[in-house]
Amino acid sequence: MTARVRRRRVDLVNVGLVVWAVAALVFLYLPIVFVVIYSFTDNRDLTRWGGFTTEWYSRLADNQQLLDTVWNSFRVAIYATPVSVVLGGLAGIALARRPGAWTRGFLVFVFLILVTPEIVDAIGLQVWFVNLADQVSWLGGPLINPSVPVIRNLFPMMIGHVIFSSAVVTLIVRARMAGLDESLEEAAADLYAPPRRAFFQITLPLVFPALLAGGLLSFTFSLDNVIISQFVSRPGSSTFPLYVFGKVRSVLRPDLAAASTLILLATLFALAVVVAVLRRSGDSSTDIAATLTGGA
Amino acid sequence: MDSTSVAAPRTPRRRFRAPKFTLALPTWAFYVVFFAVPVAFIIVYSFGTKVQGSAGRTDLSPLTLERYRDAFDPTFFTVMRQTMRISITGTLLCLVIGFPVAYFMAVRVPPRWRGVLLGVLIIPFWTNFLIRTIAWKIVLSPVGFFSNWFQDIGLRDSNLQVLNTKAAVQLGVVYNYLPLMIFPLFVTLDRLEPVLREASKDLGAGRIKTFLQVTLPLSAPGVVAGLLLVFIPLSGDYITAAVLGGADGNMAGALVASQFLQAQNQALGSAIAVILMGAIILSISVVAVAALLVRTVIRRARRVDLAEFEPTMAGV
Repeated sequence: MTARVRRRRVDLVNVGLVVWAVAALVFLYLPIVFVVIYSFTDNRDLTRWGGFTTEWYSRLADNQQLLDTVWNSFRVAIYATPVSVVLGGLAGIALARRPGAWTRGFLVFVFLILVTPEIVDAIGLQVWFVNLADQVSWLGGPLINPSVPVIRNLFPMMIGHVIFSSAVVTLIVRARMAGLDESLEEAAADLYAPPRRAFFQITLPLVFPALLAGGLLSFTFSLDNVIISQFVSRPGSSTFPLYVFGKVRSVLRPDLAAASTLILLATLFALAVVVAVLRRSGDSSTDIAATLTGGA
Repeated sequence: MDSTSVAAPRTPRRRFRAPKFTLALPTWAFYVVFFAVPVAFIIVYSFGTKVQGSAGRTDLSPLTLERYRDAFDPTFFTVMRQTMRISITGTLLCLVIGFPVAYFMAVRVPPRWRGVLLGVLIIPFWTNFLIRTIAWKIVLSPVGFFSNWFQDIGLRDSNLQVLNTKAAVQLGVVYNYLPLMIFPLFVTLDRLEPVLREASKDLGAGRIKTFLQVTLPLSAPGVVAGLLLVFIPLSGDYITAAVLGGADGNMAGALVASQFLQAQNQALGSAIAVILMGAIILSISVVAVAALLVRTVIRRARRVDLAEFEPTMAGV
């Protein structure tokens, strides 16, 4: 009798939790689904449904301003990602394999970067890249306005994105390395592999999934970033999020939804690749979650 | 093996041994130059004065506290109060909504399905922040699907009027930061061994008691991480509020931004930014102290005196 009653109660708790989780998922997906659906609306106002059309997708190719900003976004992401992966990867490996008195101080630094409100970084970088360039001439060259031909006006934005992204990559790589036995690297050394060779043939492949996940996080962070970009963008270097943000107060046109849907698909594809790679390297779902959310 | 390894060093000893942090040195230098120095500049600038008539120049020769006096005007207090209310309410809502979800995924869902569910949760988090926020403008639109539907089924007799209110901002921030609460909670709860809950059950604790005295206390690190990950970026965020709040969506971050981007008064903007950081640190400290006090009280109340049990344990 009591067993029966208890069983019923358990079910009720479970049902409640299922309902709650499903409701949360609906909540999380609702706006995304709406963007995708409304990118097909046959109406100039994005917020009103007016029948089905694919017109906005075909019109994207004609909107040169929008295409330029999307291209700029991808360029910043393409520059910022490798820099973040290298900086974060080196720091993460050092934290996991060469711990010492310096570890704590460095981690405090990384933590501060992650928790500082973005607006504070943004204004700091604006002062750095705009005011100091004029006032301190010897700084102007290498650190503020380097004549790197490909990056040019996107340089400050790239730096701003790398600060956050590399901190996240650092934590991901550190978490992964900490979970790996050092014996493989020691075995390589025992077999007379010089340190450099051990690094490239053992350490790097082991840490590759973390670098990949970190790289994807950096890439999406760059595609996504508004605040820092807003403060350090230079003429002609506007990005897609800045373009979208500029339109927010006026009437939203469905071409924004169409462009967003395409970017969404690109992100999903990249995410699927990373999850597949992590799966292949034998990660559990928890490992994947910890990796994808920044080693939380 | 042992005897040889002691005798022969594996690698020839080098004259110079690189310090342990060498690999991290480039990253360290990068953070000092592009993070620590610029943030330090903001603190210095907050004591400066705008050069009148210039486009964003700041005079630092007499450092003054004037900007802080300028910052504390009635508008500032209104905005600051609103910012803190939205941040604190938003963080708590994220915890209340997120905890059952994380608990369900980590404890009730069979491990086989956990990965799938997690993937499904991660996707919204990885989609573009601004796109997700703007999408709510479609959902909440007074002429949109839900507005029409609510009127059709008789839930409302006029258009939906949520957009451009504080409620829309609150909804938007909860939406945007909810995943940041769920992930650390899930990771912590997932690492709790089921054995612990079973032990609690074997020792006679009921479900609720097990949850309150075993699961909940052990999930504390996840709760702390989630609260920090949500509260700090949320209180500096002004994009969500600008998109969904209209004229009602003024957050402290927007005050800083407008001083820098429109008024070109970097000194005042810096002062507001410093005050905002101070407010964030203060709120976190208050919560931390309160949490420590509560923990101390609970530990006192529940303390088990081991000396009392000594004889029985020896007997076993």
